[in-house]
Amino acid sequence: MALIETRNLTYTYPGISKPSIEDVSIQIEKGEFVLITGPSGCGKTTLCRCFNGLVPHFYQGEIKGDITVAGINTLDHHTYELAKHVGLVFQNPENQLFALSIEKDVAFGLENVGASREAMRQKVDWALHQTGIYDIRDRSPHEISGGQQQRVAIASVLAMEPEIIVLDEPTSFLDPLSAEKIFEVIYKLNKEQGITVVLIEHRLDLTAKYTNHLIVMDQGRVCLEGDPRDILSKEETQRIGVGIPKATLLYQMLKKEGCSLGNRTPLCSEELADQILEALSR
Amino acid sequence: MSIFDGLKFRRVNSIIHNLDPRIKFIYVIGVFIAALLFLQIIPLVALFLLQLPFVFLARVQRQWMRSLRGAAFLAGFIFFINIVTIFLGNNYTVTPSNIEGALSMTLRFVVLVESFSVFFLTTSPDHLGLALEQSRVPYEFAFAFTTAVRFVPVLAEEAQTIMDAQKARGLELEKGNLLKRIRNYIPILIPLIVSAIRRSLELAEAMESRAWGACKKRTNLYTLRLHKGDYVLLGITAIIVIGAIYAYFYVSIPTL
Repeated sequence: MALIETRNLTYTYPGISKPSIEDVSIQIEKGEFVLITGPSGCGKTTLCRCFNGLVPHFYQGEIKGDITVAGINTLDHHTYELAKHVGLVFQNPENQLFALSIEKDVAFGLENVGASREAMRQKVDWALHQTGIYDIRDRSPHEISGGQQQRVAIASVLAMEPEIIVLDEPTSFLDPLSAEKIFEVIYKLNKEQGITVVLIEHRLDLTAKYTNHLIVMDQGRVCLEGDPRDILSKEETQRIGVGIPKATLLYQMLKKEGCSLGNRTPLCSEELADQILEALSR
Repeated sequence: MSIFDGLKFRRVNSIIHNLDPRIKFIYVIGVFIAALLFLQIIPLVALFLLQLPFVFLARVQRQWMRSLRGAAFLAGFIFFINIVTIFLGNNYTVTPSNIEGALSMTLRFVVLVESFSVFFLTTSPDHLGLALEQSRVPYEFAFAFTTAVRFVPVLAEEAQTIMDAQKARGLELEKGNLLKRIRNYIPILIPLIVSAIRRSLELAEAMESRAWGACKKRTNLYTLRLHKGDYVLLGITAIIVIGAIYAYFYVSIPTL
């Protein structure tokens, strides 16, 4: 059974007539690096909130269809029960840190579930090391940079040892370099710890190379889903307004001009460079 | 925003900073009781001087002086009111003992300010929150307290941004009479409040996602444990209080 499975999921926020997500049926397998993208207001964030039960428990509203996450039906389990399985990282790093020291923030979730002090110490240190912020653990959240804050947010969900980490545009407040570092941290967790990652992101330039499952949403519906190399080479993807990676675009242009660079659509500049070098040496 | 600077706790490592906040609070209460017992100037001066070693051990002289300077106006006011009421009620004469009484009243206030400022200057909000939690204050309150402290600098920054934005649109804050000036701040306050509410919703969402309320008996990464220094301070507090009570009943304190 898939780790996350939704069937005909439709949800409407209270006081709004149009559903924010409509008839969404997706399956996410264990260990995948899923990228969800689409224009603003397409329902990406709402879908994320479904994964840990914030929708419908925190937001109320009307929900139809089925959703199971890690074998739990989120509709009749509260968010705090799902918190052990799904970690959610939000857009604005500042608004998800509430303690006066980083270490304490990372421990927050474990404190809530009543973990013992020894277990807590161990998991907190592990999470701090994984995200590379062990050396700044005594600082206060407002003394550190946005990139570091976002890593604290990741560490704080990581400390709960979830099977799934969902990140809702984690880098939209960050500069490109910090953003790249965040993606590297996430990729490492996916690769080394086998944590399933669901990433919502506009910047495909930086993230397409990590993903093996791409979901494109538009107007509350899933339009395209599958292998990123297939989807990003489709014309429809561009029409929806997805920011196709520059390397992929260049590949398509060159292909149209008659250059043969092989059949594999590149997702990042390194891959394209390799293909061009290969074509030149031929 | 300089008014918020005083709320920013500076992390210093000193013997006083590492003391248990609960014991420090008991000490403050002890000094408070001792100060209320006397209306003579000598014991109050002694109490005042007694705090100085703490200030120097904690290396917070500068901030401490600033808080005393802040209290100076009120202290002067207390002295003035005392003298005036005595002067009016005493057939327009003032005796030296009257002056001593007024001075003692003032000094009593200064001692209280002094001890509280040492407490707040040397206790991190984090520690204070922890102390609240371990003193069986419901966790919600302790959490509200630490979160409020955490967001003071954030909101101060935001207020500055909103002020700049509104000034850029032609809002003149320093114009008009007092009433007009207060009214000028409405376009600053409303966006600030709206964004604070929005922020609090996001915060609630993040808390929910991290298992807030998962179990009744919450644990804590840190615990406060009493160390040697804490017992010493407790001893000092006991000596001050007992000494003060003894002096109050059995020692005739010389007056000016």
